[in-house]
Amino acid sequence: MEFATIEREVFVEASPEIVFEVVSSPEHIKGWWPDEADYEATAGATGTISFGDLSDGGHIAGFTVIDVRPPHLFSFRWTQPAGVLAVEGNSLLVTFSLSPSGHGTLVKMSETGFREMGWEVAVLEETYNDHISGWDFYMPRLAPYAAGISAKAHA
Amino acid sequence: MTPKQMSKVDDELWSAIGDPTRRQMLDLLLADSGGTATSLGQQLPVTRQAVAKHLAVLDRVGLVNATAAGREKRYHVDAAQLAKAAAQLASVGSAWDARMQRIKQLAESMQRAQKK
Repeated sequence: MEFATIEREVFVEASPEIVFEVVSSPEHIKGWWPDEADYEATAGATGTISFGDLSDGGHIAGFTVIDVRPPHLFSFRWTQPAGVLAVEGNSLLVTFSLSPSGHGTLVKMSETGFREMGWEVAVLEETYNDHISGWDFYMPRLAPYAAGISAKAHA
Repeated sequence: MTPKQMSKVDDELWSAIGDPTRRQMLDLLLADSGGTATSLGQQLPVTRQAVAKHLAVLDRVGLVNATAAGREKRYHVDAAQLAKAAAQLASVGSAWDARMQRIKQLAESMQRAQKK
């Protein structure tokens, strides 16, 4: 394992188009990561994502879209302070690469920049994790959310 | 230490642990409860000199501590420093494990909804 990069991959039984929506749109990103997302999914757009109640110990982070190539690739930088230009050294670069595979999509994720930013960002991530760890918190939210999408698709 | 010095040390810590040979050395030192450049050199496909260089890197960032043992130094893993490194990265990694699973669930439920 390269210690300064985190890489994960997962096979998803859904088309690349759907997976692309899930990993890139502000509406859907809230279903798997931050509590609030405010950005446009276009290259160069900047915005924010936030975790928890901002008036009560929550966090807000800058979010800059780097590359958007539907339905193949979506990349962004985050952890820079909101409103500050995202560059190497003040932010982590997250890249989602999607490729068709059988009846679904292989999703590869990499997060880089830890070495450039030093330890502090890992500590920062750790604090975010307090808000977002595990299924205990998310599973109860996921079922109603999926049902909502299903209902919309039927409408 | 000033913040600048601190970040330099942190940066070196990442580099130190980022090397596969050095990670292997840490594994061996943990398994054998310590070792010397000679004992590590016997277990690794690198020269004793290379091992000594890697040990110096690990020593500099505090991942190992050296004690005098006859003509050679004996090295032990600094558990606290290693735990610090491992815990932070493991925590980031496990957060992504959970996020990837949620992405999978979400996309698959959307796909099922679309097919209906």
